[in-house]
Amino acid sequence: MSLLLIVALPFLGALLPGILNSAGRQACAGGTLAVTLTALIGLISNIPDLMAGEVITQRFEWLPALGLNVTLMLDPLGAFFAALILGIGTLIIIYGRYYLSRNDNMGEFFTYLLLFQGAMVGIVLSDNILLLLVFWELTSLSSFLLIGYWKHLPEGRQGARMALTVTGMGGLAMIGGMMILGQIAGSYDLSVILQNREAIQSSDLYVPALILILLGCFTKSAQFPFHFWLPHAMAAPTPVSAYLHSATMVKAGIFLMARMWPVLSGTPEWFYIVTTAGLITMVLGAVIALFKHDLKALLAFSTVSHLGLITMLLGTGTAFGVLTAVFHILNHATFKAALFMSAGIVDHEAHTRDIRRLGGLRHLMPITAAIATVAALSMAGIPLFNGFISKEMMLEETLETQLFGPHWLVPAIATFGALFSAAYSFRFIVHTFFGPKRDDYPGHPHDPNKGMWFSPALLVTLVVIIGVAPFLVEPLVKTVAGAVLGGVYAVPDYHLAIWHGFKPPLYMSMIAVAGGLILLAMHKGAQAAWDATPRPEAKTIFEGIIAFFAGLAEKITATLHDGAFTRYAAILSLTITALAGHAWMTGNSGGRVFEPQPMTEVALLGWVALVAATLFLVFKHRDRLVALILMGIIGTVVSVGFAYFSAPDLAMTQISVEVVTIILMLLALNFLPDVTPAESSAGHKLGNAVVAVLGGLGAAALTYHLLLGDFVQNSISEYHLANSYKGGGGTNVVNVILVDFRGFDTFGEIIVLGIAALVIYALTETLLNGPVRARLLNRVPDKPLAGDRHPTMMVVLTRIMMPVVLLVGVYIFLRGHNEPGGGFIAGLVVAIAVVMQYMASGFAWASDRQRYPYHGIIGAGVLAAGLTGIGAWFTGHEFLTSSFGYFRIPPMEKFELASAMGFDLGVFLAVVGAVMLSLESFSRLARRAHVPDSDYPMDIDPSREEETPNQEGAA
Amino acid sequence: MIGTDLSIILPEIVLAVFAMLALVVAVYTRKDALAPVMVWATAGIFVALALWIAGGGNTTKVAFGGSFIDDGFARFAKVMILVSAAAILVMSQDFMAKRGFLRFEYPMLVALSVVGMMVMVSAGDLMSLYMGLELQSLALYVVASLRRDSVKSTEAGLKYFVLGALSSGLLLYGASLVYGYTGTTLFSGIIGAVEGEGVSVGLLFGLVFLMAGLAFKVSAVPFHMWTPDVYEGSPTPVTAFFATAPKVAAMALFARLMFDAFGTITEQWQQVIAFLSVLSMFLGAVAAIGQTNIKRLMAFSSIAHMGFALMGLAAGTALGVQAMLIYMAIYVTMNIGTFAFILSMSRDGQPVTDIASLNMYSKKEPGRALAMLVLLFSLAGVPPLVGFFGKLYVLRAAYDAGLAWLAVAGVVASVIGAFYYLRLVFFMYFGEERDDGLDAGGSPIQWAFLMVSAVIMVAGVVNLFGIEGIAEAAAATLLQ
Repeated sequence: MSLLLIVALPFLGALLPGILNSAGRQACAGGTLAVTLTALIGLISNIPDLMAGEVITQRFEWLPALGLNVTLMLDPLGAFFAALILGIGTLIIIYGRYYLSRNDNMGEFFTYLLLFQGAMVGIVLSDNILLLLVFWELTSLSSFLLIGYWKHLPEGRQGARMALTVTGMGGLAMIGGMMILGQIAGSYDLSVILQNREAIQSSDLYVPALILILLGCFTKSAQFPFHFWLPHAMAAPTPVSAYLHSATMVKAGIFLMARMWPVLSGTPEWFYIVTTAGLITMVLGAVIALFKHDLKALLAFSTVSHLGLITMLLGTGTAFGVLTAVFHILNHATFKAALFMSAGIVDHEAHTRDIRRLGGLRHLMPITAAIATVAALSMAGIPLFNGFISKEMMLEETLETQLFGPHWLVPAIATFGALFSAAYSFRFIVHTFFGPKRDDYPGHPHDPNKGMWFSPALLVTLVVIIGVAPFLVEPLVKTVAGAVLGGVYAVPDYHLAIWHGFKPPLYMSMIAVAGGLILLAMHKGAQAAWDATPRPEAKTIFEGIIAFFAGLAEKITATLHDGAFTRYAAILSLTITALAGHAWMTGNSGGRVFEPQPMTEVALLGWVALVAATLFLVFKHRDRLVALILMGIIGTVVSVGFAYFSAPDLAMTQISVEVVTIILMLLALNFLPDVTPAESSAGHKLGNAVVAVLGGLGAAALTYHLLLGDFVQNSISEYHLANSYKGGGGTNVVNVILVDFRGFDTFGEIIVLGIAALVIYALTETLLNGPVRARLLNRVPDKPLAGDRHPTMMVVLTRIMMPVVLLVGVYIFLRGHNEPGGGFIAGLVVAIAVVMQYMASGFAWASDRQRYPYHGIIGAGVLAAGLTGIGAWFTGHEFLTSSFGYFRIPPMEKFELASAMGFDLGVFLAVVGAVMLSLESFSRLARRAHVPDSDYPMDIDPSREEETPNQEGAA
Repeated sequence: MIGTDLSIILPEIVLAVFAMLALVVAVYTRKDALAPVMVWATAGIFVALALWIAGGGNTTKVAFGGSFIDDGFARFAKVMILVSAAAILVMSQDFMAKRGFLRFEYPMLVALSVVGMMVMVSAGDLMSLYMGLELQSLALYVVASLRRDSVKSTEAGLKYFVLGALSSGLLLYGASLVYGYTGTTLFSGIIGAVEGEGVSVGLLFGLVFLMAGLAFKVSAVPFHMWTPDVYEGSPTPVTAFFATAPKVAAMALFARLMFDAFGTITEQWQQVIAFLSVLSMFLGAVAAIGQTNIKRLMAFSSIAHMGFALMGLAAGTALGVQAMLIYMAIYVTMNIGTFAFILSMSRDGQPVTDIASLNMYSKKEPGRALAMLVLLFSLAGVPPLVGFFGKLYVLRAAYDAGLAWLAVAGVVASVIGAFYYLRLVFFMYFGEERDDGLDAGGSPIQWAFLMVSAVIMVAGVVNLFGIEGIAEAAAATLLQ
């Protein structure tokens, strides 16, 4: 049968139980059985080819770009495992049919079981390691569903969670290992990888790959230190335990180690990691198993122990070790599945698995007792049963193994493990089935019907047959071992036999059995001693580790994400500085082109003023008024700086913007408390200071470097300088850039400016009509108002200044095209002149005299600029192309008139309108009810005859 | 000349005009009463545009002197952006209407930000890059604080805005440095200048600052600070939107800038991106563990996922870009499904985002729980679900590019990350029985999105719906 079909059958068949469930339990189980049997027969049909030494492969493209293809391979190793999976699967289905009670949803159960089966078969038949990974995780998933099948049991939930966490994470780690492996070999196909032993073992990445893959294997096969999840997964229904935890899933890790054996084994790393882990697991599992009272827990730990044994054998890296491992896999699968099923029968009939409440069942359920006894004796390593032979071979192998020094260490430990193994096997038999009959069983134990004991009976028959006549399976074991060895070593010339003469392994075996019997006899005392010994409970440790890491994670998160904006900004700034440092280190510096200018007294003074004001601001920033004044100083010095560095336009813009913003903030100050709230502790401030200084120094260093170096490309300013007069008709390049070169930008900007002002207006309108209004009206100033709201001096001064300032504005506007100035600065200057009137003479007085609404001024500005732009169309040019000419109107000198002037007028108007509209909006907030605005520009006017209006607060 | 240019950006123009017209129409007619219609209309336009763009042939067209590029890569990203935005809009309509904050501005703002994103992925010039980016960001700042009556939402919007402005400043500074040292803002010009002149410190600074600005947009660690707060504070539909389309756009823009403008000096930025990638993957995975709010958890999850996508970018190869595109497509699909579920989480009609409320959800709603399980496993990257292939792609790309350490780090991070996804599954399937669990039922639209994306996660394993080939072609156009 096609390999694809064998893999696909359980998946497709997984639909059957669900459908057949309504047709009755018999049909449901029958359907499931038919699926598994068909797959098994399909597998068997390939055996002849295998025996002929062929390796059957099949290949389909899937995601070729990823190297992920459905490539299946059937070799003796794969066939051996597939046969175990399907064969024991068949028996489990028969057993499960009778085990599950009427209340259990059988369809669901068998669906999960078939999914799991398909995934397992997929693992062992994959030729592509990525495909193998896919199936590998599928087993994790489906086993999760199976273990959690009895949802009502809390320990089932815990077990499922732990199993999934451990195996899932191991599986993900394995992805990394597999990728590395595939990369070294240049292919993800196993058949290719297995040919590349030298390349892989000599690669630098061999150790990471090995560790990652072993993480996957060890977690899956419950090897120390990941052995703890398996016993806790035992809350699952017994058929699941028997299937997953004896024969199949836990063997997946073993399978992978065997599969990868030719390429990974033989190195010291492999030897030390695998052998040590195996040895520890073997002894630890055996010791714990002896002291477990739950039958299934006992068996679970014994499984852990036996898996450790197999792992250790694979770890030795010798051909004989592999042979023994393969043989023990077969033996363990037979007796352990039988034992689990027997334990399940006991549980099913006696309604308890607690060994302390059992005993004497031999009389009540003789068939079960017989089956369990045979299987357990095999587990103990008693001659004539298969467990004995492989255990002998194992002991023989340990004699050849030297780990960490002394020769006797490994054999001694192995014997010690075997001793405990014998002890718990005997305990399983004696404490469950022997002894006097009791009358306090929770149930009424009796032998179950045939269907339930058929499967274990079949298995123990195998146990005996192999035990008596091991030569029957010798060809099988040797073929499989040959496949594992993959041609690295030859299959050893060793004959499986019951009797090898009086040799050390036999003595060790005898010690183990005898010791086991003694230990059983002393069990009570030993148990008491065990219970009294404090020992780490793996589950607690696991939960502790999880809790620790969760706590650590929370701590990290709480530190990084405390919600404080300063923390975010600090991290951001530090990273930027670090990244910039990286750029500084790795880039090749362009070298110094310019020399720094000599420092003059004026420059030094300005610099000192700037630094002092800034530092002072940092310290006094809580006092809002002082802060504002200091900001004014800083702004002034910056403006002077611009002037000093020959940028008069910038200086003028800066100073006028400075004035407007300071006035704006002064208005806002009215609504704010005098001081800002106190923030953080001194330590916090120090940290912030360090960040700030680092960032500042970084920025300074960068600027210094950039200013002394030269840009790679010629600066665009050369183009502007060359074309400013020729193309734009102006000698003030900055202004020409604004109104001509980048006229379109400016046009957009004045629109944005206008919109911003309108938005401010709209917002204040909404505010004044909303609930804020009441609060504003009831606001009581925290300081008494000045008695003289409109001081005479100021009013007089602003009146006189007004025409002068307006004239300056016009002057600046007109000269803009050729000299420093322009519409933008002129707009600000004029705006300041008007604002002064508002401030000095009062809002009502000023707005009474204001004829054109600021909205209109903004609109007019935008329109003027737009129309100028459109004007260019009439001369056949593109939008905003400027033109200019020279005119002479006597008696004036010849003067230039550029269309850009119209555009600049637009800018001027828009700026005036926008600034005034926003200032007006803000000042509207300051108006309060009950305080009528003065009708007069001056509160105290000497020329006025009437009484001085009584001002509140004046008294 | 201008006609050709305009015809190339016609989809963007159509969408922009639609958004503005719809805004005006809604303002002057029935305002919020029109919102449901608007949502559907906008989503419809998105889908129509996506179909239009997808069927737009496979030539590379350049408009406005190279500042706007319409190639396979841009089209791939645009279709992803449009479709995911449409999905989120449709999903959120019911949620917002029920809670009374479905405003007509919402679909318009989303549409405007989508215009920005479309410009971003097509940018061929630092100017159009910035224009697109800001258009997108400005709209996003506003939607983040859509619930003006909620302090958290407002705080989220403000934080996002301030940090966003900071990063925009950095980006601009970087852009001006790049311009200063190459003499052009065109990507094609920059790459030419870099080849001719070599890399000076100034250019490198520019590059670094540009990357920092973009890293903020993709919320890569350590520029991610806004993400958890904004995700938690914003209304859930907005969070869902944040997690999908803008991420695609920013990632695509990142790729475009790196390859189109700095493609010849891969070694200069590879390490930085690898560094961002590692930090994102680890912090995303670690920080998500302690979260109790599912939206915050998804924020960290998205950070980790961006780390993986950046890994593809760090590879600096065609395979890397292809991997990144595939990863993003898968990520978006998963997130749409997950957020469809989060949107449907409610108790007594009130939205809840508490993880503990998921306890034993599988009992109440086995179908939804199963779909969510599939999505969570896919998010964790567990084989054989589609999420695994995304991870595999980027890991391979990184590995092939010689970044083995990055690939191994990615694997380790995904192992850590798996923990918190599994924790959610654990709650849903094995948690304690509680009285205050989630309501059963929910909107059929959300149900449909959840189910469809879960089915995609399973069915997609067959051939990833053929996205491989398309992504490969798209990546190839970028690297030409």
